[in-house]
Formats: sequence, structure tokens, C-alpha cells
Amino acid sequence: MSAQLTETTHVETAASSAPDRRLNPFVRAGLLLLALLVVLALPWYIYPPVAMDIVAWGLFAISIDLLLGFTGLLSFGHAAFWGTSAYVTGLIAIRSGLPFPVAILGGAVVAMLIAVPTGYLAVRRTGIYFAMVTLAFAQMIFFIANQARDLTGGENGLQGIPKSFFGIETVETDPFYFYYAALPLILLGAFIAWRTVSSPFGRVLLAIRDNPARARALGYDVERYKIMVFVISAGIAGLAGGVFSVSHGFASLQELVWQTSGKVVLITVLGGIGTLWGGPLGAAVVVLLEDYLASSGFNGIGIITGSIFVLIVLLFRKGIWGTVADLVARIRSRGRTPGRRDA
Amino acid sequence: MRHTRMISLAAMVAGSGLVLTACGSSAGGGPAAASGKISDDKIVLAVLNDQSGVYKDLSGPNSVEAVKMAVEDWKAKHKDDAVSKNIEVVTADHQNKPDIANTKAQELYDRQKADIILDVPTSSAALAVATQAKTKKKVYINIGAGTTALTGAQCNKYTFHWAYDTYMLAKGTGGTLTKDGGKKWNVVYPDYAFGQDMTKSFEGQITAAGGAIGQKVPTPFPNDNFATYITKAAADKPDVIGTMHAGGDLINFVKQYNQAGISDQIKLAVGLMFITDIHSLGAEQFKGVTFTEAWYWNFDEQNRAWADKFQAKTKTRPSFAHAANYSAAFNYLEAVQEAGSDTGDDVVAKLEGKKINDFFLRNGEVRAADHRVIHDAYLAEVKPASEVKEEWDYEKIVATIPAAEAFKPVAESGCSM
Repeated sequence: MSAQLTETTHVETAASSAPDRRLNPFVRAGLLLLALLVVLALPWYIYPPVAMDIVAWGLFAISIDLLLGFTGLLSFGHAAFWGTSAYVTGLIAIRSGLPFPVAILGGAVVAMLIAVPTGYLAVRRTGIYFAMVTLAFAQMIFFIANQARDLTGGENGLQGIPKSFFGIETVETDPFYFYYAALPLILLGAFIAWRTVSSPFGRVLLAIRDNPARARALGYDVERYKIMVFVISAGIAGLAGGVFSVSHGFASLQELVWQTSGKVVLITVLGGIGTLWGGPLGAAVVVLLEDYLASSGFNGIGIITGSIFVLIVLLFRKGIWGTVADLVARIRSRGRTPGRRDA
Repeated sequence: MRHTRMISLAAMVAGSGLVLTACGSSAGGGPAAASGKISDDKIVLAVLNDQSGVYKDLSGPNSVEAVKMAVEDWKAKHKDDAVSKNIEVVTADHQNKPDIANTKAQELYDRQKADIILDVPTSSAALAVATQAKTKKKVYINIGAGTTALTGAQCNKYTFHWAYDTYMLAKGTGGTLTKDGGKKWNVVYPDYAFGQDMTKSFEGQITAAGGAIGQKVPTPFPNDNFATYITKAAADKPDVIGTMHAGGDLINFVKQYNQAGISDQIKLAVGLMFITDIHSLGAEQFKGVTFTEAWYWNFDEQNRAWADKFQAKTKTRPSFAHAANYSAAFNYLEAVQEAGSDTGDDVVAKLEGKKINDFFLRNGEVRAADHRVIHDAYLAEVKPASEVKEEWDYEKIVATIPAAEAFKPVAESGCSM
């Protein structure tokens, strides 16, 4: 078991944390600015509800990446946090009529609360066992939501979630303006993730991912760190789930079903793990593809998305972002030699 | 710094590439409003259903064909006095996922300028689209979903429910069979919302007709092995065993019911079944099974005539959902013609309370109070293979449930618009 684990983490390490791949601060600031521009411009080019889906799934993928790419934990039950927050957000918004950002924050907090016992039990195991424990919890929540029909609406879902926003009507009715009202929550989630991985806490996570035994020998309480990052990740997934449910105006069992957990892992791997950038990129690809295929009149959507996934995994093992970053690094190292001579 | 610039350049190119692709695939946001008699000078009918999954055969692409047939026939009927000659049919695949249905419904109304959305199976998706219809003030006629919530607690001004619902199924099968002497029932149902709801509706109808359910046997969902549940349900020799399973589970259930060797003594009634289920398993497996149909293609000459036209186009016989899509699309266009406008409110005003008699809706009426479209329903029995004279000739209609009785009375609907 432990031999297998080190082997898998080895691959991930190679992809993400080789020292010479760190970009200089100017480039990073430039990239960040560009990303922000793309995100801000998105609803001008893409149908606004679809744009909202992209950023929500992107943030959801970031929450997975935090665990998978930076801590080496594969959660196969993240739909539990995304879905719970979707329902809780919806219930708060419907019953109290509070502005939607408050409802979403409430949803995220509840997602974090249920992540505490889940994380507490799950982090005692690693690898496939960790994945199975998280999956089991997610299934449990799925069945609870299915049975608690007075609260969740069961099969029919929780319908008619309002987009209350301090009485500003354009935001409440037009998805174009709603996008900009909800975007800060997404950016908040992304910022928390970035802050987490680039702090000393994040360094400890990397140490745990690469060699848990050594991290423990150095005096770090590995389990506690894992629980903490698990809860943070659940909170980010909760933010994303809340935005998603308010944007659609409903929460359904689809949000809790295990395929949703699978889809977000797929998105993360597609985009490239251990990068944070990869998630949103993967989300853009998957959501746009689903959206396009849905009105293309083509009858085998699963075949297309499946083959693309297989192709990416076989040909670009580091995901889209990982591959692009690699190419850039190669160009860079080619350009470096003459550059030094000049200087 | 040269490499730095190169990287920024690469990133720029990648970024603008992304933006360009986005540009190509879709138009941008921002609100858009249209006015005039016929918005955008065209009438757009959108079919939103399952084009690739479990409901593909039941409605799917052939429902789109049915709607196209309706448009052609309507054009042929009105020729020059048609309110618009420019009629489009668009379609989208919701993959039975409510979130996709929701986004697609918005897109269809906003971007593709759809004036009406048709079909939408799967209850969570159906209800999500109803909410969109309400916000956009555009017409929505549901055909594929069974939930009574569409015309009950979650009804709205722009939503109509055309073909069937769970109440109709319970009334038809539970009520009629009990009246005909099947007083003692046992029900086997999958233990989730749909199964529980159906069992409750059946119990209401059976009790009202003077019968009783002895045992209610829940099974896991989904499930493959029903042998123990069948034995349990058959143990006290009821007159009828009712099953509320659907799709793949139903097919397994029926197979094992036949193997149990009790099909000669105890009648099997199915809560929800479509002609496509019989077609996939063969009539022999289902012989003697009773269920409620909203419409059957080989019921009379009128139905058959339409089914022949449908077959000429699609090489298959229609399910009731196909016929209902045609009927809904045709009558929608009639309402637009009468109103002289395709604005949601104008069309709704013309549809409300309208009495319709076409090949699909017999003694039909669009109830104004809850937008439930009522019509005659049928109790059907599956023929044994020996009596099947041609392909798809699987059903014998044993009773007609009059429109006024087949659906939930307005007083019980719980709808307030």
C-alpha cells in the first residue's frame, strides 16, 4: 500500500513543483490579470448562465485540486459539500429571503461543518480507502436528501430559489448582471485556495503529500493538517455549490449524486492537478462541451466526453494547464542560454 | 527579460484563442427585448427532451419529428391566412439533468427566441423549466413528465401539462381494475419518491373504488433480484399485484414474475409503462399485464391514420408522447393564429378553457384553473404474442376512462396561479 502511494505521488510531484518552473513575479501578475480579464469578459462572449456554470465548476475543481494536487488526497465524495451547500443555500434564500451572498456563505459554513466528522474519519486512511470513505459519506447524504422530502423536495428538487440582492432588480432577473454580483464569491473561494497553498501551511501540505512519514517525523500532526485542508476544501466546494444553485434557481439530487463527485475529479484531472489554474480551464472545456453538444442534435454525448477524457489522460498526462506550463518552460529554457550570453 | 515577454505573448495568444472560440460558439449576453405581433417575425417551437438516454425511444428525436409534422400540417391547413409562414423547430438534449434543462430552457427562450418549449421528461427537469417559463413569461407545455406538482403546488400561468400524470395512472389502473372485481391488492414498489407517491395515489383510488391494499412491499432502487418480493406479495393470494417499477427495473420484475409461475392466477398491474417497454421485451413477456395509456396508436381509424403518417417519416410506431407532442404543437399554433400574436400572455388567454377534440385529445379541455389538459384515458392489456397481428400491435384497450374522471379534480389540485 505505502509503496503504491509513493509511486503515485511521485508522478504528481514531477508535474507540479520542480523549482525552475516558478515564474517570475511580473509574469505571474500578468497571468493573474489576464485570468481576471477573461473571467470578467466571459459573459460578454458566452451565454451568462453558462459562464456562471463555468466559474462555479471551476471553483469546485479548485477545491478538489487543493486536496488531490496539494495534499495527495483523492476525495470521491465532494458532491456532498457542493450539494449540501446547494440545498442549504436554497433553503436559507427561500425561507428567510436574505440576500443570496448571505445564503451562500451560510451554505458554505454548513458544508464545512459536515466536513469535520467526514474528514476526521476519512484522513485515518489514505489512497483508495480515503476515496471510499468520502464516497460513503456522500452516498449517505444523498439518501438523507432523497428521504427528507418535506425539506428537499426529493426527486422534484428544491425549486424556486430566489436571487434576492438588496432589491436591485437587474441583478435579480438578468443573469448577465447576476454573474457580476456572484463573481466576488467565486473569487473569494479562489483567493482562499491560493492563500492556503502559498502559505507555510501549504508548504506543510506539500511535505505531507510527498512524504507523510517524514512530515510526521518532523513533528507535524499530519492528521490534523489533513482535516484542516479537508474542511477548507469543503468550504470552497460549498461556495461553488451555493452559487450554482442560486444561479439555476433550484437544487436537485443531481447535485449530490456520485457522478457529480466523479465529474469534478474528471474536470480537475483534465485541467491539470497541482496547479489551481487547471480546474477552471478543465471546467471551461467540459461545460462548454456539454452545452454545445446539448444543442448539436448529436445522440451520443457520453461517447464524445469519454473519448476526450481518455485522449487527454493518454496524451497529456499533466492535464491541459500542466502541458501548457511544460511547453512554456521548455521554450523558456531554450531562450535562456543566448539570453545569458548577451548579458 | 526576453523569455518573460515570450511567456506573456504565449499567454495572450492562448487567452485570445479562448475568447475567440467562445465568440464563435455563442452570442453574448445583455438583455434583449422584442415586440410586435409575432416576435422576431417568426414562431419558434423548441423541443427540450432526452435525445441520448433512457427516454430516447419513448420521446426523444421522434418527438421532434412529430412537432415538425404538426408544423407542416398546420401550414397546409392555413396556407395564406397563416399568422406567420416563418415557423422554426429547434431542439436541445437535457440529458435528464435538471441543471442542463434549466440552462437550456433559458437559452432556448432568450437566445434561440423560442416562443414555446415542449416535452421535458424527468420531473425535476420539468419543474425547473416551469420556473423559467414563469420568469420569462413564455409558454411551456409539458408532455414527458408525470409529476402532478406541475399543475399542483408549483403550477403557474405559462405552464400546461398535456398528456398524463401519476394521478391519471392511479385512477385508470387502480380505480378501474378494482371496480372490475380486483378488490384485494398487494403493491410492490421501489422505495424512492416516485414509487412512494404512486403507491399513495393507487391506495387512494383503490380504497375509493371499494378495494384495499393488503401488503405494501418496498424494494431497493435500483434492484435486479425481485424473487423474494414477488413471493412475499403473492403469499396471501391477492386478486391483483401492482408494481410501481419503471424502465429497466420493470423489465426485470416482469421477467421474474413470469418465472414465478403465478401469472395465471394473479393479475399483474403496472403503474407506469410505455409501449416502448413492451417493444423492447416482447409482448409474450408482458402478456395479460394491465396498465393505463394516455393514447394508443391502434385504438381506432383516426389514431391509425396518424400513426401511418408518423411511420412513413420515422419507420416506427408512435408512443403516446409522440402523439401528444404533435397535438400540443398543433393546438399551440392554432392558439397563436386565434390570438394573432405569439406573446405568452395572449396565447395563454386563448388556450385557457379551450375545448379540443383531435386524434390525441378525445373530449379534451385545457382546464383554466390549473392548466391540466384533460382527455379520455385508456386501460390497456398486453396481448399474448399469438394475437399480435403486426409489429407494435401489442395492446388491447379494455376500458375508456372519461376525461372528467381520469384526472385530479381542480378542487384537489392545490394550484393557485
